[in-house]
Amino acid sequence: MSARDVVIIDGTRTPFAKSGTALKKIHPAELGKVALRELIAKTNLDVSQVDEVIIGNTGNPVDSVNIARVVALNAGILQKTSAYTVHRNCASALESISNGYEKIKSGTMDVVIAGGTENMSQMPTLLPPKIQKTFDELFAAKATAKKLALIWQLFKGDLKQIKAILSGNFRDEYFPVISVMQGLTDPFAGINMGQTAEIIAKEFNISRLEQDEFALKSHQKAVAAIKSGRIKDEIVSFPMPPDFKTTLTEDTGPRDGQTIEALSKLKPFFDKLTGTITAGNSCPITDGAAVLLMMSRERAQSLGYKPLARIRGYAFAGLEPERMGLGPVYSTPVALKRAGLLMKDIGLVELNEAFAAQVIGCMKAFDSNEFAQKKLGLGSKVGTLDPNMVNVNGGAIAIGHPVGATGTRIVVTLMKEMKKRNIQFGLATLCIGGGQGGSIVLEQEA
Amino acid sequence: MSVNESLKIIPLQVEGVGLVAQIVFDMKDSSANKLSTPIMLRLRELLQEVDRNTNYKAVIINSKKPKIFIAGADIDEIRSMTSPDQFREAVGQGQSIFNMIEDLKIPVFASIHGACAGGGCELILACDYRIASDDSATRIGLPETQLGILPGFGGCVRLPRLVGLQAALDIILAGKLVNAKKAQKMGLIDRMVHVNLLSDQTIKFVQDVFKEGPHKRRQTFKPKGFVNVLLEGPLKTVVFSQARKQTLKATSGHYPSPLKALQVIQKTFKSSNRERSLEIEKNAFCEVAVTDISKNLIHVYDLTEMVKKQNGVPGVQVTAKEIKALGILGAGTMGGGVAYVAADKGIRVRIKDLNPEALGKAFKHAHDLWFKLMKKRVLDKFQFSQKINLISGGTDYADFKNLDIVIEAIVEDMGIKQKVIAETAAHMRPDAIIATNTSSLSVTEMSKGHPRPEYFAGMHFFNPVHKMPLVEVIRGEKTSDETISTIYELSKKMGKMPVVVKDGPGFLVNRLLLPYMAEAAFLLQEGMSIEVVDQAYVKEFGMPMGPFALMDEVGLDVCIKVLKIFKKAFGDRVELAPCMEALEKSGRLGKKNKKGFYHYDEKDYRGEVDQSIYQALNLTTPTNLISNQECIERGVFAMINECARALKDDQIVATPNEVDLAMIMGTGFPPFRGGLTKYADKVTISYVVQQLEKYSSQKNASKRLAPAPALKNLKAFYI
Repeated sequence: MSARDVVIIDGTRTPFAKSGTALKKIHPAELGKVALRELIAKTNLDVSQVDEVIIGNTGNPVDSVNIARVVALNAGILQKTSAYTVHRNCASALESISNGYEKIKSGTMDVVIAGGTENMSQMPTLLPPKIQKTFDELFAAKATAKKLALIWQLFKGDLKQIKAILSGNFRDEYFPVISVMQGLTDPFAGINMGQTAEIIAKEFNISRLEQDEFALKSHQKAVAAIKSGRIKDEIVSFPMPPDFKTTLTEDTGPRDGQTIEALSKLKPFFDKLTGTITAGNSCPITDGAAVLLMMSRERAQSLGYKPLARIRGYAFAGLEPERMGLGPVYSTPVALKRAGLLMKDIGLVELNEAFAAQVIGCMKAFDSNEFAQKKLGLGSKVGTLDPNMVNVNGGAIAIGHPVGATGTRIVVTLMKEMKKRNIQFGLATLCIGGGQGGSIVLEQEA
Repeated sequence: MSVNESLKIIPLQVEGVGLVAQIVFDMKDSSANKLSTPIMLRLRELLQEVDRNTNYKAVIINSKKPKIFIAGADIDEIRSMTSPDQFREAVGQGQSIFNMIEDLKIPVFASIHGACAGGGCELILACDYRIASDDSATRIGLPETQLGILPGFGGCVRLPRLVGLQAALDIILAGKLVNAKKAQKMGLIDRMVHVNLLSDQTIKFVQDVFKEGPHKRRQTFKPKGFVNVLLEGPLKTVVFSQARKQTLKATSGHYPSPLKALQVIQKTFKSSNRERSLEIEKNAFCEVAVTDISKNLIHVYDLTEMVKKQNGVPGVQVTAKEIKALGILGAGTMGGGVAYVAADKGIRVRIKDLNPEALGKAFKHAHDLWFKLMKKRVLDKFQFSQKINLISGGTDYADFKNLDIVIEAIVEDMGIKQKVIAETAAHMRPDAIIATNTSSLSVTEMSKGHPRPEYFAGMHFFNPVHKMPLVEVIRGEKTSDETISTIYELSKKMGKMPVVVKDGPGFLVNRLLLPYMAEAAFLLQEGMSIEVVDQAYVKEFGMPMGPFALMDEVGLDVCIKVLKIFKKAFGDRVELAPCMEALEKSGRLGKKNKKGFYHYDEKDYRGEVDQSIYQALNLTTPTNLISNQECIERGVFAMINECARALKDDQIVATPNEVDLAMIMGTGFPPFRGGLTKYADKVTISYVVQQLEKYSSQKNASKRLAPAPALKNLKAFYI
């Protein structure tokens, strides 16, 4: 134990809801506010203690470009306290935690709030570049004749846009730019996230049935966790504006009564002919926010807090963008090394479920000497993961994956479950679009 | 001489202009500049000097006070004047001095920062040019009608000329003040600058004017748009009749001064004969200024000023604690109302209620009220969401360690309240306060639930909380001065009028109201109809609503319950008419279940009297044989009777001032009557006693209407 140990006091999150449903009208800053406001309440935090607020977000809403500051002020964090937004794609809300960790560990700060918020429903649809160019020219134009010509051009462009939308051809240069879709396409390799999962499925020989069964289990575990009230303490109930009549208290994604038959009926989305990745065995596009309160051990002690967990180490690592789903296999050995631990020490794991194929692929790669030697430059495999200790309360396939918030969500879920099961060491890890992995190792505080 | 120090000329050499006379207001021994008689005479002297000294090229009038330009006439002087001649002299003198400003051969610039009200506003109207700071302290207008008088130093004549008829009526009839931005928009000021730039920019303004030649000007309003051209010209009668209608509706005909002001404006608008116009204004002023109504409204003004200066514990030096975060137990109507009012004034609010739906309703109550303000453009969307962000809630005690005070608004049950208070105290910091919003239970008794009763008191709001200004601050036996003072200051911060009262059944307001409501039930029993009684109180006496409408608002079950509590506490003098007993069993709860003396629509607006109620209460068809005078006297005199007991026997409040303030702010007792005790003194106590004796013998009501010894021993409430 050291005074500069970085401990997590508590964490909380909003319920997660599939995009376009319950939370679609709630601004991501508002989602973040609710989570943070309730974290402050729950921990009875004296906000004057807070040194920094760091929030992950990938959608970057145009009206709140540094959304962390908006979240902080709305939630009642003092104006003197600084705040910034971080973006490491799917691991943005793990990036915020790692930032906080470094600041506390180094002695720069003592109290940091880290988290993430995302409303994927509200990611904008932009004008096609062709039309936007005309638009810009129109703004700059002075002569009436020029203006009229550009307006006529704009009108023609609109017709072409409508034609492109009706034809459903995404590649048409007059098709509007849908931010969510762009975000889920790798700009280096030029393929969609689902296609990266298809590559893993094929290279690791993961069958459709294996994936669907994994997805089914995710739903079953998530539904059980909701029904038993096991994860109630990580979720804040949320009377929703503007009529405040409905109070959202739980995730809306997990489906009770999900069957393997129903899952097996779905068509492969990314590779119609030989593919195995479906909407059913992938995570849905989701809205939600999560935050946690971190402190130096000495500050936690002086304020009389009993932390839930201590951060032992974290790591990010890179790999081929087209196999991004295997990211956890690359980052985890580094994080374990920094934590001074081995995989066999880990008693509980949150491995984010972007795709069933990708999680299964990771488990196989973790357990493979060949993979370790060829890809990781290690002498032997990272270690075997017991499926019974992975995502025990379900994962993103059921709960959902609000990109900028998931990193914190899995850490909150992990540390609370570690406490309930009295597990000493836990691992939270996720794959990151663009070809990275992120991992964090926690130790339960007595 | 202090008056010479308070108002003087500081000459100033301005490039491109020459010598400028700065007339500087800086009242000694006062934070405000007021236009008292000595100051007015001094002003005349200075103006004469400026007129004589031909070296002066321009005049600047400004103030040295940080928050006030000129607050208006000296109210102490107005209060001391009684005869029309006194007013005539003072007003004539003021008018002639402001005429001097208008008639100076050189241009006069008003440089305004801070409150510029009444006579202050009339002064700048007589100037040629006006520049003001955009500070929030800068508020310009003519509030005279609020005091039952009207602008008498030329305001009724000059304001319509400068800003047009519609804008002027808006200010004068409602007695409004506007901020600099609005003032500029309507043409009341010419320029608006940051306060730090005001003096430099005033000089620049003078230079700018002199570039085009040093000229006087008489700015006249030029309406914009075809409709306004018509309304400010040929169709002005439409504007006048519309304004008259609205004023009559707003004042129910009980307040003559806005109507008088309207008459003055109607007679003088667009007249070129200044002397005649000012004479009309002066006559009208003297007519309203001598009335009791004006004296009473000034009394009410004094009462509100008294609250501003007090700390809730007279004669004790104590520092109130700052309340940054406020908790509420129970998200019902009262809890939700308090949450809105607190958050509206920038206090962070945390509501606890076991039922998430109730929380949602409280959030919605606040949300909808602010949303309306946003629609009316009082708030922009950013201010709106900042307010929304101040309210949060939950079903547990999360956040309670961060709260400075918690207001309890749960079910009216002593046992439950004591238990919840003990539980709440355990979740709070030891120095935090708990206050109860109870309307009928003993605060001292309740404080036994609190481990540190010095941190416990009553804070009784009235429904609807966002409309009713009164807060009764109830001192329990062990409540500390610091706690009382903290709640007193908090009430003020929430925009309310606090009155400190002693613990006792019904505290002050409900104790006085109950005999009044009980008496209304007897009138009903004796064959009066609901609408006749209510209308008598509204139209003749000036109450905002009659006793039956009020009972519906409060809740009929609550009225009967509280009456029974009173019966226990006060014995036989509390009587329930037989129809009240029937009412209890009728299932009618009033507005809250839309079944009471009146019908209610789906939006809870009160409609016609529910004619089926007479039968439901076993009453015969109303005969209406009792005079309006008797209806009113029996109710109001019953209140006065109880007031004497509360004030003299039980010392529930310290002085009649508190009674008057509480009744006006808590029940809407007509302000033009100056309050309950002011009214009693006006009709004389001996008349009240005589009438009570008469009614108690005639109606066989010796128990409930017989004058109390405390009343009989009294000559007048105000000595």
